Order: sequence, then C-alpha cells, then structure tokens
Amino acid sequence: MNTGFGSLIAVLGIVASTIPVFAHHGFDTEYDAKKKVKLTGVVTQVAWTNPHMRVYIDVAGPDGKVINWNLELTSPNRIRRQGWGPNDLLPGEKVVFEGYGGKIVESRGSLLSITKVGEDKPLFEEGGPDTAGQQTPF
Amino acid sequence: MRRVLIASMTLVGVALLAHVNAQEERVRHIAPANPVVADKDVNSQPIPRLADGTIDITGPWFGGGSNGDIERDGGLKPGELPLLPWARELREKRLPKDEPYTACLPMGVPRVNPYPWKFAMSYTSKGLTHIYQLHETGDAGAHRVIYMDGRAHPPDPIPTWWGHSTGKFEKDTLVIDTVGYNDKFWFDSKGTPHSEKLHTTERWTRINFGRMTHEFTIDDPGAFSRTVTLNFTASLIRPGIKDGGDLLEFICLEDNQYGAAAGISGVGSGR
Repeated sequence: MNTGFGSLIAVLGIVASTIPVFAHHGFDTEYDAKKKVKLTGVVTQVAWTNPHMRVYIDVAGPDGKVINWNLELTSPNRIRRQGWGPNDLLPGEKVVFEGYGGKIVESRGSLLSITKVGEDKPLFEEGGPDTAGQQTPF
Repeated sequence: MRRVLIASMTLVGVALLAHVNAQEERVRHIAPANPVVADKDVNSQPIPRLADGTIDITGPWFGGGSNGDIERDGGLKPGELPLLPWARELREKRLPKDEPYTACLPMGVPRVNPYPWKFAMSYTSKGLTHIYQLHETGDAGAHRVIYMDGRAHPPDPIPTWWGHSTGKFEKDTLVIDTVGYNDKFWFDSKGTPHSEKLHTTERWTRINFGRMTHEFTIDDPGAFSRTVTLNFTASLIRPGIKDGGDLLEFICLEDNQYGAAAGISGVGSGR
C-alpha cells in the first residue's frame, strides 16, 4: 500500500460519519438495527453495480462452515466521489467488517465499515440506522 | 558542491510539493464536505449568460425539490398540504416497499435525490428548442423533455411519468407547464399521491451565481382540494470538484436486489 492510499483511508475514516446509508431507499425496510455484527472474512467480489454497490465476503463460522455475506453499500457514483477506485479492495483480501444483518436473510447485510486486516483505519464506513434519511449531497 | 546541494534541495522541494498537491487533490476528491457553492459565495461571480443573452441555468445543481416530504421541504406546516381525504388516506397506507422508485422507476416532478442534476439547454439552428432535465439517479436513467419551441400541449396526451412539458422564459425565469402525468409516481417517499388530472407549473429563477429558486404549483382537482404552491431552492455544485459536476452513469436495473434481505418480493408496486 502506498502512502497516498494510507491517507485516503485515514480521511475516509474521518469523514465517514456524515455519509448517509442509501439514497435509493431507506434502511429500515430491509435491515435490522438490532442485528449488528463485526466479523472477519475474505473478500470474494467487489461489485460496482447499480443501484447500489456490494461487497461479498466469505466468513467461516466456529464450525468451519463458510457463509458468503452480501453487503450493500450506496451507489457506485457516491463511492467513486469519495475516492474509492476499483483497485482499492480486491478479491482475496482479508478484512474486518461491521454491518447490520437483513431482517430475514441475516447474511444479506448493510455495510457499516470495512477495514483490511493489519490496517487500523477503516477503508470505508457507511452509515446505519442513525444516519438513515440524511440528505448529504453525493 | 553548493550548486548541487541547492539543485537537489529544489528537486526535493518540487517533489514534495507535487506530492502534497496530489494528496490535497485526492483529499478534495474524497471529501467534498460541502460540494455546493457556500452561502457566503453565492454572489462571488455574476450570473452567467449564454451568447444570445439567455440566462444560463444549466447547473449542475443539487436540490430544488424534495425526496422525503414534499409538504415539509416545500415550506408548509404539517397537515397543510390540501390533500383530499382519499389521497390523505392512501398516503397513510402506503408502505416503503411499494414505492415505484425502489423498483428503478422515475421519481417524477419535483422529487430530487442527493445527486447532481442539470437543465441541458439544447440549441439548434432554430435557437433554444428543447431543455432536457437530467438527474443522475432521480430519473432512473430516463430524461425529461421540456419543449421550448412554442408548441402547445396535445389535447389528448398519453399519461406518462414526466407528462408533457412546455417551457418559456419570462424575463430570467424559466416557466414550465406540464400536463399529461400518469398517477404512478409518488411525490415523496411518504407516498404523497396525485391523480392524472395533475397540472404543474414550475418557476425556476437563478437568483444569483450559486442559487436557483423553484416555485412549484400543484393544480390537481383529482387529489387536492385547491391549488397549492411549494418553494424549494437548488444549489450550484461548487465548480472544480472532480466528478462532482458530471452526471455519471446510473443504470438502476443492473442489479437491484432491493427487498431480498427482508424476504420482500414484488417491490415498487406503487399501491
């Protein structure tokens, strides 16, 4: 990792608390604020898709069973404007992430923050129920 | 030796400056804490005009409508929006999962998402003949046409998401008159409804370099007991923000998984 990217993630950590969850729809319909999780896993896919970007992460349970988490972010355009690029998080990288589980399908979650293992600053932080509905531009 | 030292220090200085500039550029890119022209700067430049003297309202703009609550954001008190009883009742019954926009359908007039949008002013040899209103996400990838060539509304418009819009400038105010709406889109995420009798008048006035007011009048005897006017303000995206003023691609239907986490199917029914 170069120093430029180090600064990038530091700044993202500082500004992320102002980032709204979703511009396309709200949090409450799909996700459960009581199902907050913090897990470690390996990224399998970073999907720059509309309307919302997704990161897929394999997480091994205590029994060794692997569950592929499907974590929703906001729009690719909003992420891009925050400085994220296609080379900043890649399949195979180990990460710690926080999020909220889906109301019915828990492994379909809303991503709150994601940090590469070995780094102390989050690569990206989303909002969560507390920031739902904010109208922060972009 | 001294020359070599000075040259070396200069090179290091230039390199450091370049590095700092690159960092600052990226930081600005990452964190446009306030991507619109600040209140203190709204008069920092003259209002731009096109070669023919027409006021330039291209933008890119942020805001100018409502997403969450048209009544609140339009400057009314709670309960002041003169909805007919059936419309008020329908608004109370509507669920977020049924909102058409969640199924990648257009937001409609005058909704806006927190993304940039533009009035794309289209000139031909006949002058300004069309204005296209382009939202990065609010139109779900479609575009809205405003005819500026003097034509009238058709007597029997097919009800559509954006309706049939004609526009004209009254001094520096763009006045858009629209009929022919369908009744499918929601005015806001609260589910505020309307009918196919909806007739809207938008008065867009760029009051200075950084702001444009929007006076929005609803005339809909099918869903409202009287005409009502709402007021919004659009802010100019601050010039120079990387990617900030460009409308980036947004193909909403690419991978819309809305509802799956909650086991919801059939989202966006519009009920």
